[in-house]
Amino acid sequence: MPPAILGVLLAPGRVWALQVHPEPEGLIAHQLAHLFFATTMAVLAYWLHVNRFVRERGWRLIQISCLLFLLWNIGAFAGHWAAAHLPDDIFVGEPGSLSRKVLSGQSVWVLPYLIFHLDHLICVPAILCLLLGIRSLYVKVLDEDGAGF
Amino acid sequence: MEAYPLAPVVLTDFIGSALMIVLSCACVRYAFLLRRARPANVLWTYLLAFSLALAAFSVSRGVGHLVGQLLSFAGKGDVWKALLPYSGAVNTLMFVVVGSITLFFQRVQIINREILNDKRDLEKASSEVIRLNRDLQSLVEARTRQLSASEVRYRALFEGSIDVVFIVDDTGRFEDLNQAGVRTLGYESPEELIGVLSLKDVFVKERDYDALAYQLRTHGFVRDRECLLMSRNGDEILVLLGMSAKAPDAHVKGGYHGIAKDITARKRMERQLQRADRLASLGQISAGIAHEINNPLGIILGYAQLIMRGCDKGTQGYEDVRTIERQAQNCRRIVGDLLKFARAADTRKTVVNVNQCLRDLLALLARQFESAGIMVEARLDPELPAVVGDTDKIKQVFMNLLVNAKQAITGSGRIGIETAHDVESGQICVIISDTGVGIPEDLADKVFDPFFTTKPVGEGTGLGLSVSYGIIHDHGGTIELNSEVGKGTVFTIQLPARVDESAKNG
Repeated sequence: MPPAILGVLLAPGRVWALQVHPEPEGLIAHQLAHLFFATTMAVLAYWLHVNRFVRERGWRLIQISCLLFLLWNIGAFAGHWAAAHLPDDIFVGEPGSLSRKVLSGQSVWVLPYLIFHLDHLICVPAILCLLLGIRSLYVKVLDEDGAGF
Repeated sequence: MEAYPLAPVVLTDFIGSALMIVLSCACVRYAFLLRRARPANVLWTYLLAFSLALAAFSVSRGVGHLVGQLLSFAGKGDVWKALLPYSGAVNTLMFVVVGSITLFFQRVQIINREILNDKRDLEKASSEVIRLNRDLQSLVEARTRQLSASEVRYRALFEGSIDVVFIVDDTGRFEDLNQAGVRTLGYESPEELIGVLSLKDVFVKERDYDALAYQLRTHGFVRDRECLLMSRNGDEILVLLGMSAKAPDAHVKGGYHGIAKDITARKRMERQLQRADRLASLGQISAGIAHEINNPLGIILGYAQLIMRGCDKGTQGYEDVRTIERQAQNCRRIVGDLLKFARAADTRKTVVNVNQCLRDLLALLARQFESAGIMVEARLDPELPAVVGDTDKIKQVFMNLLVNAKQAITGSGRIGIETAHDVESGQICVIISDTGVGIPEDLADKVFDPFFTTKPVGEGTGLGLSVSYGIIHDHGGTIELNSEVGKGTVFTIQLPARVDESAKNG
């Protein structure tokens, strides 16, 4: 047996049996999830286009919803990125109060932070389009069945 | 230092999160309704799964944000800080779930397209099957109508035929028989024959049937074969029979159909015509001979009478000449009868009361019949019309027949005399029957021939019936004979009734 292996066996040090997950890993995983989500939305929008589903109003609304979710994911990705670059002391005021502010001039990420954190202005219309799209499909099915709506 | 308020961000986040939860739940509801409306559509199942994943994402994210904002407002920022990584992790997971489900779309839509294609093909095949079924149904209906019409047509032909049409199985048993067949064979309904009797049962002679069966087996058909059938009441029916196998190659098994034409009447008429022809020829010959004999006979008779005048009565010479004269007289009578047979004798036609003629003759013969033990039954039609004819000759006919009847009866017996009037044919009918020995079938056609007799030599000339035949035909009538050995003989005379109805017999 080689002396090195014998040495390891007789005098073990720190063994890296499990990988350590330091703090930024969660953010990176979240950001990758956003990118994955955005990609799938792009793919779905593309499939709806190439399969000519978009000729129907319902699927067209769903395609718009996908594109909005794609935008939202990009925005969210950018928002998270901007937040990660802001120091904690840039926020002033009582935490949890509406009077809380963010100081400008200390970081170039302040404005992107504020803009991209208004992401609901995109994701709410996105899910609204999805709702209208599914509803439209449902109405069409009812019409086909002659039940009306 | 300039600062930006975070209030718009917070409010947007708060309201937006709430809206996301509400709207995503609405998405789930409609997706669920959609799937319930079309459970077989896999796209709606996909859409429901997609909506559920988005709802889960919206709820996890929205609730997280709402709780975070509320905790912050409540001054529990530390708590939110502790919960924040979990909320973020769940959100991350939801993103992956939504994205993963999204990527199934293409596969789902391919499956859905294939299902739809299969469904379309199935519907097309189904409609094709329905169309074929409808076509087949209409075809069957049309064919059934044709068959029904054909059945009606051929059934009418079968039942309406005046000839006997029948179907028998391979053993000869009747399978079907038309009404004419039923009537001809003397039955009431086809059921009395079908499945009950076989062709063999209605054949008079078994060997005739065996010969027929042999020919059917060997050739598969028979054509125009004369066969003697027997009706239910025992009457013999002469038929012209044609039979063939139902199928050309199945003449051994499978049965036969046939047509039998009743030719009894035709055959009888043919025999009558043949007899009439023969008797007419004989009459011509007889008339010629009679005329030729009559003249020398007259001379012989004249000279015989002249010689007799020159001889003394009682001498041998006188007796010899008298014998010559007597025999010549006999010959003259025979010649006279031949002339009557040949219808060459003079006829003095007047109105004749046939019933009266018969009464006169019965009065004349009554003692003879009585002494011979013969009972006479006379049924004379009081409404019998008169006929136009020679009374003496008509009486001679009746006399011949009555004498023949008496001679035919050995021991006691019965003679029947009947007269009737057939208004339709305008004929009167005289039937003279006896219960005598009868005439064999092979002799029946010869009884009207001149000099034909079954009596011993010297007891009859064989001219009686020939003369009767000649007289009746001279009066435009007919004389028929029906006889059965051992049972008796029936002579039927038909004479045209006088048109003037005022001279009816009493």
